[in-house]
Amino acid sequence: MANILLTTKCNRSCPYCFARQEMSGSPGDSLLSWENLIYIADFLQASGEQQISLLGGEPTLHPDCVDFILYLLERDFRVMVFTNGALSPSRLAEFKDHLTEVNPERLTFTVNLNDPVQTPASREEMERIHRFLSVMGPWAMPGFNIYRLDFTLDFLFDAINRFGMKRHVRLGLCHPVPGQRTGYLRMEDLSRVVRRIYSYRQQFDAFRVSPGLDCGFPLCQFNDEELGWLHRHRGLIQFGCGPAVDISPDMSVYYCFPLSRYRRKSLFEFDSLAQIDHHFLKIRQEMKAEIPGVYGECDGCRYLEEELCAGGGLCRVLNRFVDEAPIRLPEIEHELAKNRLSS
Amino acid sequence: MNLPRIVCPPDPGLLQSFVDRTVLVRVPSLGEAAAAAARVGQSGNRLLCVIVESDSPLADLDFQEDQKAIPLAVMAPSTGQFRHLARQLDLLRSFNLRVYLPGHHAENLVGLRILSSVGIYTCAVLGNGSMDWEALADLMTYAVLERVPHAAIEPFNFIASRYDPAAYLEWGGIFFDDPKTYLHLDGKGRVALSPAELRKKQFIAQSIAEIPEPAEFPAIRERLQAWRQYFLDNHPCASCPGWKICLGRFAGDGLGNQGCAGFFLEMLEVARQFKNRQTQAEEFRIWQP
Repeated sequence: MANILLTTKCNRSCPYCFARQEMSGSPGDSLLSWENLIYIADFLQASGEQQISLLGGEPTLHPDCVDFILYLLERDFRVMVFTNGALSPSRLAEFKDHLTEVNPERLTFTVNLNDPVQTPASREEMERIHRFLSVMGPWAMPGFNIYRLDFTLDFLFDAINRFGMKRHVRLGLCHPVPGQRTGYLRMEDLSRVVRRIYSYRQQFDAFRVSPGLDCGFPLCQFNDEELGWLHRHRGLIQFGCGPAVDISPDMSVYYCFPLSRYRRKSLFEFDSLAQIDHHFLKIRQEMKAEIPGVYGECDGCRYLEEELCAGGGLCRVLNRFVDEAPIRLPEIEHELAKNRLSS
Repeated sequence: MNLPRIVCPPDPGLLQSFVDRTVLVRVPSLGEAAAAAARVGQSGNRLLCVIVESDSPLADLDFQEDQKAIPLAVMAPSTGQFRHLARQLDLLRSFNLRVYLPGHHAENLVGLRILSSVGIYTCAVLGNGSMDWEALADLMTYAVLERVPHAAIEPFNFIASRYDPAAYLEWGGIFFDDPKTYLHLDGKGRVALSPAELRKKQFIAQSIAEIPEPAEFPAIRERLQAWRQYFLDNHPCASCPGWKICLGRFAGDGLGNQGCAGFFLEMLEVARQFKNRQTQAEEFRIWQP
């Protein structure tokens, strides 16, 4: 899968934003061009890829967002748009006019919803999000980024039922961004996060909503009961850190937002998605050779060796490299220094 | 020499003033295409295609199922917004259609790429304005060498597939600008050598009847041999490596086309690569029973 950043602009300022570093490093008006979109579509099609995610910044701020979505659908991709849902009235009208005839199985909006109490938004922003969900609810599913331990999920179930959204929730852990002060959870707190998600089991089951875990959840933080419950909803569960390819408007390719400054390349340096995956694999191997996982117990862990678990997100490993004295492999230290990531 | 095809308005009287010719009729709107095609049939001539010279972007044209059978050359100023085009794409792909866009507008070079990538056959009309040769070279490379199958973008695919290192290549016929193949008539039957000369009312004859032997007609013969003048004048184009596929098409038009030499050199290289690919594909075929 590939994530395409349509723009580096965003109209929100979330306390946990892991894209802030990447966005602030780009020109404010950085927009993906049609030529580059077609190049990416060709590149992915030639690589046998069938799904594309559109990100930002806030992707719906791109003036051609609707056209890009329709174009990618026309190219036979399934399209996922990661949005905050706070669309202007005119942009929402475009969505209503041109996207409400699309089969919801081919187009999904993952709407990043914040807890209205813990991370409040302005009244106007909330109204915009509600108007978006009123129109695009059947094409949308909620996404929620967990950056504090006392999080709640009730408002997600409320939104799903109220707006007829897809019955799935994407739950993401907020990871540290090396060199940045963003809200994130410590590794030692992850078992409490899992317990809290599991405490909403009754609501998930009663409303027939399936929980989806984003990257960086370590397998060892779940007990068998929790794993069994997740398995009933989602089948095979991934505890990996195998990223989608992030492609920015300037055609840079990187592992993920927190690692956006580490071994960044241009898409034009590759001939296929397999080559990019190989490049990412080398990054992973290089870093994992130094620190296998985020916990001490990861070293020698059977599940890590059998690749059932990635030992937490690679971003946390990089964060340790940044915070510690320069004792790692020279290639790593050189890359950190080159990108001003050294402590 | 075969008789040139006639490009003219679908005037019944005009169409009946000649017989058994291959004809292209010009209409200002898509809605007139069916009637124009029918008139050619009634006149005893053969229809090659209907040329729709639209003032509206392609996305704003209202294509209808019953136009499917008509061979169409739609000349539009631009593609328009993709969101409007998207609704018609399935229908358009079932048409016998080539879309022509002016190549001197940067947005059209993008439009041509978009259309091609979704399976619509297109052509960049070159030579009517100052060109962005670098952007055109990007489009040409995409058209000929891109890894994913897409519809042809002319004139690039035409040039690449017919390129012969030992011969000159005339490709203006792709957009009806080749007097050996196309003669253009106005509503009164007066004859011009090219679409541009028709617009400027520069006629070579008052009717097609005056040209029974086109190869012997002075104005046509002169035009077909005009390339020789570049060598007699020792014009820079005559020593340009891109001459073989350019033939001075962009010489001295005062439109700031200085980048043309670089473009045509690149076009030659891309054409060679295209030929090599074809040759290699032949060489590496396994044995045939």
